[in-house]
Amino acid sequence: MVEEFLSEAAIKKNRNKHRVKVHSLQLGLAVLLLGGWQILADHKILDPFFYGRPSGVMHQLGVWITNGTSIGSLWVNAWVTFYEATYGFLAGVILGIIFGVFLARNPTAAEIFAPYIKVSNSIPRVVLGSIFVLWLGLGSVSKVALAFVLVFFPVFFNAFQGTREADHKLIANARLLGASKRQITIKVIFPSALSWITASMHVSFGFALIGAIVGEFLGAQRGLGLLIATAQGNFNPNGVYAAMLIIAIMALSAEWLITKLENRLLNWRPTQISGTEL
Amino acid sequence: MNSGSPVSFDNVSKRFRTPKGTWYQALAGLEFEIKAGEFVSLVGPTGCGKSTALTLLAGLEQPSIGAVNVDGREVDKIETSTGFVFQHDATFPWMSVYNNIAAGPKFRGVKNYDQLVRTWISKVGLTGFESNYPHQLSGGMKKRVALAQALINEPSLLLMDEPFSALDVQTRSIMTDELVSIWETTGSTVVFVTHDLEEAIALSDRVLVLTAGPAKVKADFTINLPRPRKARDIRFTEEFLEIYQDIWSVLRDEVDIAYQRQLVAPGKGK
Repeated sequence: MVEEFLSEAAIKKNRNKHRVKVHSLQLGLAVLLLGGWQILADHKILDPFFYGRPSGVMHQLGVWITNGTSIGSLWVNAWVTFYEATYGFLAGVILGIIFGVFLARNPTAAEIFAPYIKVSNSIPRVVLGSIFVLWLGLGSVSKVALAFVLVFFPVFFNAFQGTREADHKLIANARLLGASKRQITIKVIFPSALSWITASMHVSFGFALIGAIVGEFLGAQRGLGLLIATAQGNFNPNGVYAAMLIIAIMALSAEWLITKLENRLLNWRPTQISGTEL
Repeated sequence: MNSGSPVSFDNVSKRFRTPKGTWYQALAGLEFEIKAGEFVSLVGPTGCGKSTALTLLAGLEQPSIGAVNVDGREVDKIETSTGFVFQHDATFPWMSVYNNIAAGPKFRGVKNYDQLVRTWISKVGLTGFESNYPHQLSGGMKKRVALAQALINEPSLLLMDEPFSALDVQTRSIMTDELVSIWETTGSTVVFVTHDLEEAIALSDRVLVLTAGPAKVKADFTINLPRPRKARDIRFTEEFLEIYQDIWSVLRDEVDIAYQRQLVAPGKGK
């Protein structure tokens, strides 16, 4: 039998206890995996020549940061990949939204374009990287183009679907309140499609990074993709992992920014189901 | 205070294509007239075409045969002098209470709407909730937003499609009362669709009983209860009960017909 409600302090204490437990287990898991890898590599059970080792990755990062890489400063290369991905991402998102909303609002245009969109969507887009390198050269433009085509389609399809699923009652209401077709698109359709669009943006930045890096694999003068390709050519697994680590940090920061933006844009939504976001 | 629009249905039929490709006839030769400034309720069994009549009046759909006239003109497009309160929530979830109510004036390019919006916010009792989003409001409060959103444009014709059907009984009787007192200050014509005969009688000047679909007018009752009315209390008076029995004796047969049909053809709703 419980006589009293828990005090605020007790609730807080319980919550903190839970948090400490989760965080220490997370840390423990990381130590176990990385430590295991290190020990197995040190005892030659995992051949460090092929598999690398955590200490080697950290050493490689240290060398890159202090002495630069074989293709120039680490920061310059990271920056190049980042802006290629970002430009491709922004262009893909903006054009994806415009085309998606436009086609969903104009059924005849959608009918006309449908087979073309289906065909271009069925092309494995990474293959286009080779064509872009041929057309646009070894510079950044070909990477931006590849990142763009990878981002465009998911955003386009989500914007299209989100627009089509906009509540007809709301549109009818807006029309009766005196909204023009343009006002309906901007004030009613776009906000209701926004949760679809931001959902696609989460996966899309990852696609943009893939586009930039694969583009750099295929032929480039700078960038993390080239750094990975060079490390691979030199049988330097630690270099590949080190570049991967930087890319992961980049992707996570972008994801964090997108989540911030999403929460800001969609602050009118009821609080989401509680629990860990993945 | 505006004058309100007269309304007439001239031999109106409406059919829809069902998803199966067959035709569904919602209205067949519907005819009635409403005088300017009248509050008229349409009652009838489920699926009889009441809501269809409203969408034709609003210009959201066009009749297949016949004509719907508002203010002496045939309705062939959306009339922005018409206000509509929907059965289900049609407030914009991404707009605050203030912006929802200001939506009409903003869409219409009205300048200096702030004072007007604040007046309506206080009229429907939402002062202090201006910056809340709809999901933070109760069902009754959302209805107040919808009501203010429609009425702020001073419609000469107000259409309401079972606006209070989703509310609990207590909130519903409060809202009915408030609707009466707000409407008595506007003078607009109201067409009110409902299942609830009590609500219809308490609110209206006239109650039209429609047949099981396709809808026709089966009977036309004038409600001679005094105004201004207290909708919440009037339903316990002797006259009210008499009117209720009169109308119910007509409506009951149609309700039975509609119900029998549902039993014969399961799943074929409206």
